Amino acid sequence: MKDSRGYRVFQIVNGVVLLGVVFVTLYPFLNIIAQSFSGETFIRAGQVNLVPLGFNTTTYQLVMGDETFWRSYGNTVLYTVVATAIAMLLTTTYAYVISKKGIRGRGLLIGIAVFTMFFNGGLIPNYVLISSLGLTNSIWAIVLPNAISVFNLLVMKAFFENLPSELEEAAQIDGLSTYGILLRIVLPLSKAVIATMVLFYAVTFWNSWFQAFLYLNQQELFPVTIYLRNLIAGASTASSLGSGGGDLAQVASNVKAVTMVLTVLPILCVYPFIQRYFVSGVMLGSVKG
Amino acid sequence: MSRALLRAGGAGAVLVLGVGLTACGSSAAEEVDITEKTLGAMDSYSVGDQFTATEALSFPVLYSEHPNYPIKDDWLFWQELTERTNVTLEPTIVPMSDYEQKRSLLVGAGDAPVLLPKTYPGQETPFVSSGAVLPVSEYLDLMPNFTDKVERWGLEDNLDTLRQEDGDFYVLPGLHENPWQDYTIAVREDIMAELGLEAPSDWDEFRDVLRAVKAAYPDMYPLSDRFNVPTPGGNFLNIVAMTFGTSAGWGYDDATFDEASGEFEYTGATDEQRDFIEYVASLVDEGLIDPESFTQDDDTAIQKFTTGRSFAISTNAQTVVNDYRPTLDTNVPEAEVGKIPLPAGPAGDVISGATQLENGIMISSAATEREDFVAMMQFIDWLWYSDAGLEFAKWGVEGTTFTKDADGKRVLADDIDFIGLNPGAPKHLQKDFGFSNGVFAYGGPTELLQSTFSDEELEFQEVMADKESLPLAPPYPFSEGEREQATLLETPLKDYTSQMTLQFILGQRDLGEWDAYLAELEGKGASTYIDLVNGAADRFAEANG
Repeated sequence: MKDSRGYRVFQIVNGVVLLGVVFVTLYPFLNIIAQSFSGETFIRAGQVNLVPLGFNTTTYQLVMGDETFWRSYGNTVLYTVVATAIAMLLTTTYAYVISKKGIRGRGLLIGIAVFTMFFNGGLIPNYVLISSLGLTNSIWAIVLPNAISVFNLLVMKAFFENLPSELEEAAQIDGLSTYGILLRIVLPLSKAVIATMVLFYAVTFWNSWFQAFLYLNQQELFPVTIYLRNLIAGASTASSLGSGGGDLAQVASNVKAVTMVLTVLPILCVYPFIQRYFVSGVMLGSVKG
Repeated sequence: MSRALLRAGGAGAVLVLGVGLTACGSSAAEEVDITEKTLGAMDSYSVGDQFTATEALSFPVLYSEHPNYPIKDDWLFWQELTERTNVTLEPTIVPMSDYEQKRSLLVGAGDAPVLLPKTYPGQETPFVSSGAVLPVSEYLDLMPNFTDKVERWGLEDNLDTLRQEDGDFYVLPGLHENPWQDYTIAVREDIMAELGLEAPSDWDEFRDVLRAVKAAYPDMYPLSDRFNVPTPGGNFLNIVAMTFGTSAGWGYDDATFDEASGEFEYTGATDEQRDFIEYVASLVDEGLIDPESFTQDDDTAIQKFTTGRSFAISTNAQTVVNDYRPTLDTNVPEAEVGKIPLPAGPAGDVISGATQLENGIMISSAATEREDFVAMMQFIDWLWYSDAGLEFAKWGVEGTTFTKDADGKRVLADDIDFIGLNPGAPKHLQKDFGFSNGVFAYGGPTELLQSTFSDEELEFQEVMADKESLPLAPPYPFSEGEREQATLLETPLKDYTSQMTLQFILGQRDLGEWDAYLAELEGKGASTYIDLVNGAADRFAEANG
C-alpha cells in the first residue's frame, strides 16, 4: 500500500522536528566535550560551540593526574556496584512476594512500601537515625537507606503478576521449592525487567550526591558527584564577598568540562548494552492483556 | 540533576523546619562554671604569648573543602600547628558548595563539631534561640588577642551590630584593622587614554566618561554589567547606592538609619533612594548601560567585555586578573584594563564601615562541657586573632614557605606559587602546604592583608584608604515574636522594592509615579516594619546604654 501524500508530508515534518529535538538535546553534551578540549581563553570569550578551539589535551592530563579525582571515581564505582546489587536483591525478592495474590499479610507489605512514597521522617530525624545506627562515614550509609525504590518495586510486582501462574504450578508439580521456582523459572523469564531495573538503579546511584553529602565527613569517602558539584558550584558564587584573595579564585571552565565528560562517560556506555531490554522493560506491566 | 535540585530544595525546607523545632527545646545561655575546665590551658596567656597546650589536645572542627585545594593530611599546616600549639584539629569535611546546609543539619541534629568556622555575621541568628551555640561574648576574658584588637582598632560598634536581644553575640567574627573596599568598576584604560579621559572622582564624572566613550564608539556598550546573582545589579547598584546614602543590590537593607532624626526609615521610600534611582535611570535613558546589564549572567557580561564589545564592567581584584585580562589580551591585544577608585556620591567620598567584620567562628554550646574549654578558647584566640597566628595561617613558616627582608616585607619561597606571585613554580602555598586556607586565614592587620596584593592593587587601596567610612547603624535585635512578624514583612517588601527599583531604572515605570509607589509600599507594611525596627533599637539602647 502506498502512503498518502499527507502522510508523507507528515513524516518529513515529523523527521525535521525530531532532528531539531535531537540537536537541542545533544548540543549541551557536544558543547561540553568541545570545551573540554579547548583553551580557557576561548571558552571565556564564548567562542566555543561545537568545535574545540585552541585544541589541547593538557586539561585531561591535569584532571586525570589528580588523585582526589580518581579516588572519588573509585568510590562512585564501588558505591554504584554494591548499592545496585543490594537494591536488586531486595527489590526482586520483595516484589516477588507481594506479587503472589494469595499470600497472607500481602496488603500490609504493600502498604508499608507505598506509605514511604508519601511520607518520610524528614531530614534531621533521618540523619539522627543513620548516625545512631553507626552508619555515618561508611559505605552502608549510601547503599542501605535507598535500597528499595517503591516505584521500581511496583513495576516489578506488576511484571511478576503477569507471568502465567500455570508455569509455576507446573514447576511445583515437578518438585521445585519456592526458591527453586524463583531462581530457575521466574528470574530467567524476567531478564527484560531485571535489566531495566539495573539500569534505573545504577544511574540513580551513579548520579546521587545528597546521601553522600549528608552522611560522609571524610574526603577519601566522597563519590565523584560531590567532587564535581563542589568544583562547579563551590567557588563560583560571589558569596565569599570580602574574604581573602585565595578564597575568590574560581575553577577554570575547561577543568569543569573535562570533569563532567569523565563523570558522564561510563554511565553513558552502559545504555547501548541495556537498550534492547529497555523499551520492553519499561512498557511491561503498563498494559494488561 | 533536576531531581537532585528538587531534593536539595526540599531538604532546605525541611531543614528550616527542623531548626525551628529545635528552637522549642532548651532555653539559651545558662551561666556555666568554667573554673574547673582548664585541662591543657596555660595559666598565664596574654597578647604576644605563643599558645601551647600543657598537654596534647584535639578539637573537632567543621571544615569547608575548597575545590581548588582539596584537603591533605600531610599539609605542613597541620604538622606545624600541632608542633606550636600541641593541638590537633579533627576536621569534619564538608564540600564548600553546600557548607551552610550541612552546618544547619549538624547543629539541628545535635551532632556538630565544637568549632564551626566560616559563619558569616547573621548566619548564626537561627541557632541562637535553641541554645545550640555558645554566647561567645561571655567568654572574651579568655581571649586577650581578640579583645586587644577590638580595643585598638575601635571595633566595639561593629561588634554591637552582632548582638542579639539578650545583649550577647554568638559568633566570633574575623577582624579587619581598617574598612576596605575591593569591588568597584573595571574600565578599558587604553580607551580612557586615547580619549584623554581622567579616572572619574564622582558619579557625575563617571557619567561623562561613559558619554565620551559612547560618542567615540557608538557600537560599544559603555557599561555592560555582571554580578546579578542573587540580586540584579548586585555590585553596581550596591556601590552607587552606598555613596548616595542608601542601599541597593547586594547591600540592600530594608531599614536605613537616618542620622538627623535618630530613627530608622524604610530604605525604598527615602529621598536618597529616589536620587539614586534617578541617577541610574539617567544612565539607562541615555543608552550608557546595556539594557541586559541587570539580568544577564556573568559569562555573557564577561564575553562582551573581553571581546571589546563593552567598555566597563564590575570587578574585584581577582576578576581583573583571572576573568578579564588573559582573554582580553588574546582578543584585543592593545587593550589595557584596570580598576577605577570608587567614585564619590552625594553622601560624600565614602565606603561602607561594615567591612571590618568578616566571617568567623561559631562554637557549639556543648563546648562548655569539655574539660579543655579554657584551652580551646585560648587556642582560637591564638590561631585566628594573634599576630603570630594570623601570619602563620596566611604565609606559613618563615624560612620554609616565605622569608622576610630587612623591612619586614614577606617574600614567598622561590619554588612556591600563590595567586600568581611566582608563576610557574612547582609547588602551591594552598594546595601543597595548606596555608592561606579560607577556613583559617582571614582578617588581621592591614599590613598583613595587603602583603599578598599586587602593586596595582596596592595603588588602588592607597587611594581608597583616604575615603571615609560610613557610620554604622545602631543594632536592633528582634525578640522572637517580633522576628516572626518581621520575617513575614521583610521578604515581600524587599522583593517589591528591588522589582520597582529596577522598573524605575529601566524606564518601565515612570518616576512620576513615585508617590503611588510609596503608597504601595505602605500597603505592604513598610511602616509596620519600621516601627518594629525602631522599637527594637530603642529597647536595645535602653538595656545596653
